[in-house]
Amino acid sequence: MDWTRTETSNWALLKRLLALGWLYKARCLGVVALQTLFMAVGVGGLALTGLAVDVIRFRHTPEEIAWPRLLPPPGDAYRLRVVAYLALGILGVAAVRAALNYTAVISSARLVQDIVIHLRSKLYRKLQELSFRFYDHHQSGSIINRVTADVQMVRMFVDGVVVQGLILLVSLALYLAYMLRINPLLTLACLAPAPLMWIITMIYARFVKPAMLEARARYDEVILTLAESVEAAPQIRGFAREELMQGRFDGDNRRFYDQQRRIFTATSLYSPTIGFLTNTSMMVLIGYGGYLVIRGELALGTGLLVFFGLLSQFTAQVNAISGLVGTVQQSLTAAQRVFEVLDMEVEIKPPERPVPLPHPRGAVEFRGVTFGYQPANPVLHDIGLNVKPGQVVAILGPTGAGKSTLLSLIPRFYDPQQGTVLLDGIDIRRLDLDELRNHIGFVFQESFLFSTTVRSNIAFGHPNATDDQIRWAAEIARANEFIEALPEGYDTVVGERGADLSGGQRQRIAIARALLHNPPVLLMDDPTAAIDPQTESEIHAAMENAMSSRTTFVVTHRLSTLRRADRVVVLERGRITATGTHRELVDQPGLYREIALHQLQEHAGEAPHG
Amino acid sequence: MAERRPRHDAWSLLADGGRIRRDERLERPLDWALCKRLFGLMSAYRLRRNFLFALVFTRSVQLPLLAAIPPLILKGPVAEGDVPGLLLAVGGMGLLALLTQATMFFRVRLAHELGEAVVRDLRGAVYAKLMILPMSFYDATKVGRVISRMTSDSENIKAGVQDVLFVAIVQLGQMLVAAGIMFWFDPVLFLAVIGMAPILYLINRTFRKKLSRTHRIIQESFSRVTSTLAESVSGIRITQGFSRQRINADLFHNLVEDHSEFNMDASRVSGTFMPLLELNNQLFTAILILFGGWRAWHGYTSIENVVGFLFLLGVFFGPVAHMGTLYTRLIMSLAGAERVFRLLDLPVPHPDDELPAGLGKIRGEVEFDDVTFAYHEGNPVLHEVSFRAEPGQLVALVGHTGSGKSSIINLITKFHTPTRGTVRIDGRDIMAIRGTELHRQMGLVLQVNFLFTGTVMDNIRFGRPEATDEEVRQVLDHLGCRDVLEVLPEGLATRVGERGGTISLGQRQLICIARAMLADPRIMILDEATSSVDTLTEIRIQHALQKLLRGRTSFVVAHRLSTIREADQVLVLDQGRIVERGVHAELLAHAGVYARLYHQFTRAGEAEGGGD
Ligand SMILES: Nc1ncnc2c1ncn2[C@@H]1O[C@H](COP(=O)(O)OP(=O)(O)OP(=O)(O)O)[C@@H](O)[C@H]1O
Ligand SMILES: Nc1ncnc2c1ncn2[C@@H]1O[C@H](COP(=O)(O)OP(=O)(O)OP(=O)(O)O)[C@@H](O)[C@H]1O
Ligand SMILES: [Mg+2]
Ligand SMILES: [Mg+2]
Repeated sequence: MDWTRTETSNWALLKRLLALGWLYKARCLGVVALQTLFMAVGVGGLALTGLAVDVIRFRHTPEEIAWPRLLPPPGDAYRLRVVAYLALGILGVAAVRAALNYTAVISSARLVQDIVIHLRSKLYRKLQELSFRFYDHHQSGSIINRVTADVQMVRMFVDGVVVQGLILLVSLALYLAYMLRINPLLTLACLAPAPLMWIITMIYARFVKPAMLEARARYDEVILTLAESVEAAPQIRGFAREELMQGRFDGDNRRFYDQQRRIFTATSLYSPTIGFLTNTSMMVLIGYGGYLVIRGELALGTGLLVFFGLLSQFTAQVNAISGLVGTVQQSLTAAQRVFEVLDMEVEIKPPERPVPLPHPRGAVEFRGVTFGYQPANPVLHDIGLNVKPGQVVAILGPTGAGKSTLLSLIPRFYDPQQGTVLLDGIDIRRLDLDELRNHIGFVFQESFLFSTTVRSNIAFGHPNATDDQIRWAAEIARANEFIEALPEGYDTVVGERGADLSGGQRQRIAIARALLHNPPVLLMDDPTAAIDPQTESEIHAAMENAMSSRTTFVVTHRLSTLRRADRVVVLERGRITATGTHRELVDQPGLYREIALHQLQEHAGEAPHG
Repeated sequence: MAERRPRHDAWSLLADGGRIRRDERLERPLDWALCKRLFGLMSAYRLRRNFLFALVFTRSVQLPLLAAIPPLILKGPVAEGDVPGLLLAVGGMGLLALLTQATMFFRVRLAHELGEAVVRDLRGAVYAKLMILPMSFYDATKVGRVISRMTSDSENIKAGVQDVLFVAIVQLGQMLVAAGIMFWFDPVLFLAVIGMAPILYLINRTFRKKLSRTHRIIQESFSRVTSTLAESVSGIRITQGFSRQRINADLFHNLVEDHSEFNMDASRVSGTFMPLLELNNQLFTAILILFGGWRAWHGYTSIENVVGFLFLLGVFFGPVAHMGTLYTRLIMSLAGAERVFRLLDLPVPHPDDELPAGLGKIRGEVEFDDVTFAYHEGNPVLHEVSFRAEPGQLVALVGHTGSGKSSIINLITKFHTPTRGTVRIDGRDIMAIRGTELHRQMGLVLQVNFLFTGTVMDNIRFGRPEATDEEVRQVLDHLGCRDVLEVLPEGLATRVGERGGTISLGQRQLICIARAMLADPRIMILDEATSSVDTLTEIRIQHALQKLLRGRTSFVVAHRLSTIREADQVLVLDQGRIVERGVHAELLAHAGVYARLYHQFTRAGEAEGGGD
């Protein structure tokens, strides 16, 4: 279930990207309108310049000046003063243009930013909802790249392709109309290379998209190796594998570089070709246009000069098309990656009409539950277990038996393939997901802390918890004492993953985090693995004293905890092989008895053998 | 030394709902030393770079020439009505165009290659640096931050290297050549045009400052976005377990919104800057029309010259506007470079390559001589610790959580260095031994385990990359836990997810132990190596280890008794001090801390019963 490397069809992607643009249609059109106006005013300025040139050129034969219809010739057309007016006009037009330009830049920037905010928030929201299975199989580096770089490229589709494309169309039409009005034949001659440009661009695009997709994937690899190396710094250092890892990283780095080079080769061929075609247009203009000027069929100012201005704008725009096509490629590549996340089905869905259960008593039942991370490979087989409210159930079993898996089914981190899990007699799939999880306190087998204050870590699930509540939870988890000894007490910021605390300290904060707000169901996955027996028994005692009764599932290997339990469940290879109290189980032959005897013997002082 | 621990970093922002404020201190003048170093990165590719220089110089002549041909044609053949001359000239223009584009081909290609090669090297260098930075760096640095050094910062550096300098040269050259041609057309008119240049300079200067500030802020805020994101992803299971998705999403939304607001600031600045420059260009056109017109009117110059000026105006002033963009890019790449260089320049307190090589095979004697150690100055976690482990001894470290057991391990492995006192290996001060040489003879299982994405087999082989599959299986057999791993869907070829997330914790610990054993170490470190392994498997492993550890010095941290009982030496730690030492029996007789701990175990096993 890796990222589907299959290519989604470009059309499907395009449609979705357009739909994204459609969300912002009014504002896109606003930007297009502003830009068009901006250009039209520019053409006006150009016309004024051309006129001025002609006025000067034909100062002695003013009747040859081709006055535009909008601007009737003044009576004193042969006076220098007219040139001054025209110069002033050019300035006036320029001022309007500048104002328009500013407005256009700001409104398009706002548009861009709003799209980015929209996409990033949406992606993040989606990432928050995606189920555990998604994270089991997807690399975080790639996920991060999608929210950062890829989002930028996707939004470029709206402002860089849709908006720019519209502007391009409008402006091309505008320029084309004007050029045709000046001289149709010249226009046709000058634009002859345009179709060729289009074809070349298409060929380029076809090659580049898969190449870019590949490059992005290789880039993800670089980042993954990097991220892992930072996280595994002690292991790499400790096994003196610096060179090995450097080699691996250099390899990734080089593969990315090689892929990039493949793209450069195409790019470096593409842009000069387009450039040359542009030059050809210019040559046609000068050659043919110059010829026309010589023959007196084209004015120098309002004709050739203006045409020159228009043609440079026009080819600049056509060149922009090539940039645009590049952008389309990048956007498509990125869109595929972004939509992959957005489309990813949320495996664990809350029901449409949840059954309300504001105050569960805490009866948990497994009914015929079979579950496998891969359906073909069940980890739990036909689990049946009925736990009464307030009971303490200890789960014991060999490594890999499925203990953690069993616990993870109760808050619906995964849904079983067969059977049901019930809370207070209600199928948990019919409960609101957040409500269900709010009723459950979870001490994960690994104590992950966020790099924020100790206080925020404990209050992670209930950000509004009071200081007293936080202290109360820390007290029970026997964490209060060491927290207060930290440089800034509860306000000490811990390192990433809690890196600057000892293992047992992390675990105790994790326990406090789960105990806060007294959840009716408590799931503890080997909660004291890193804690010494004395502290462990203190924690147990404190929990018994300070907390009301709750349903507790605790995975443990320690006899001390097993004995405390109302019920012990022995899990072997995904099946419950025995349940009962400590007393009952010690008297039966089986795994439990063996383990119990081993631990008892150990404590009695004789090392067990066998 | 290492980057300071970020105080109010992304997650605390998220957790506390704070927002970033615009920060004034980010304003800074252009740093020439930094520029020099940035562009110095290219010197590894001297040949390519020089070729590129030659190309851009050529282009800076070709481009204005190409632009000057039309006005020249107008002035010449067109004004004279010379049709064959016109055709010839157009043919010449075609040739020049061909040449220009050929130059372009190499220029684009080389620039990209150079830029990409430079960042590739830079990435490699950053990685190499990461491999030698002291462990304290990792305690205080977020993964997301390091990643953004490699991603956005490197991208900015690339843009700076491949574009800024070369494009600037083309643009400047273009300006100069255009100026020359204009001067040749009509010196007086040219002087009038050039007289306006100071305005441009002033506009440029004002906006440069503003831009450089906003871009710094943007990069800083982007770093926060990335590191928050990274942590959100790695902590997703906790987030969902505690139903905090919505709160996080809202807070992230704020963060992204802030980031966008900073981007808006930048747009506002450049949105004012660009139109102003434009306006200025039009001002030139107006002046040209007015003054040039006047001159042409009175016959001081020809109208073709004025038109020629109009043609060249774009070539002359275009670069000015372009310079603004280039400057922004330069600022961004300098900001990126600054951060990458800061990482590269971090001091490595005791670099390996300054130490003598040739440790040779060690016997495995480890001695602590009055060692005091603090992670943060003034806050020692180990006090005057002294002990001595003879070669081949099994030393057990016992104590409450947080008493300093792992810290002792951190000193033996040279991950950290003592604040006071000496650690000796085979009688040699550890500070005089190369870390890598020492580590080659060590096998470690650290309290926080880590698996790489890859197969189980690959992960075990990490201990000795040249080991064959058979050897890996043998180690598992010796440890007696091959069956536990072979039940995995594809046995030892099963791929594990990030950090080994797709197999059980106990399985991960077994892999780590096998990995350390495969390394065939002289000194073995087992820090809570079996804390998540079930009792029976643990017992099996302990028996196996008794044999496997023979002849190796080993340090074992465990909360379970059986290990401790076998130890040649037990060190009992309490709040960073060794309070008792000896073998099990002696310590028990002594009736101190250890005896209390021991009775705790015993009582837990026998007496008090739960609710049956
Ligand atoms: N990287 C670090 N930076 C700062 N302080 C640290 C760091 N690692 C540990 N500490 C502190 O040093 C003290 C000793 O920690 P250490 O990890 O050595 O304990 P430990 O005996 O291994 O405990 P445990 O049994 O819980 O693993 C603790 O108070 C802890 O908070
Ligand atoms: N996310 C996952 N994806 C695929 N397989 C998994 C995943 N998590 C665990 N497994 C596999 O499912 C089986 C049961 O794992 P589980 O974590 O439930 O064991 P456990 O009983 O908790 O073991 P331990 O005592 O080591 O923690 C193991 O074989 C494990 O490799
Ligand atoms: Mg588990
Ligand atoms: Mg420890």
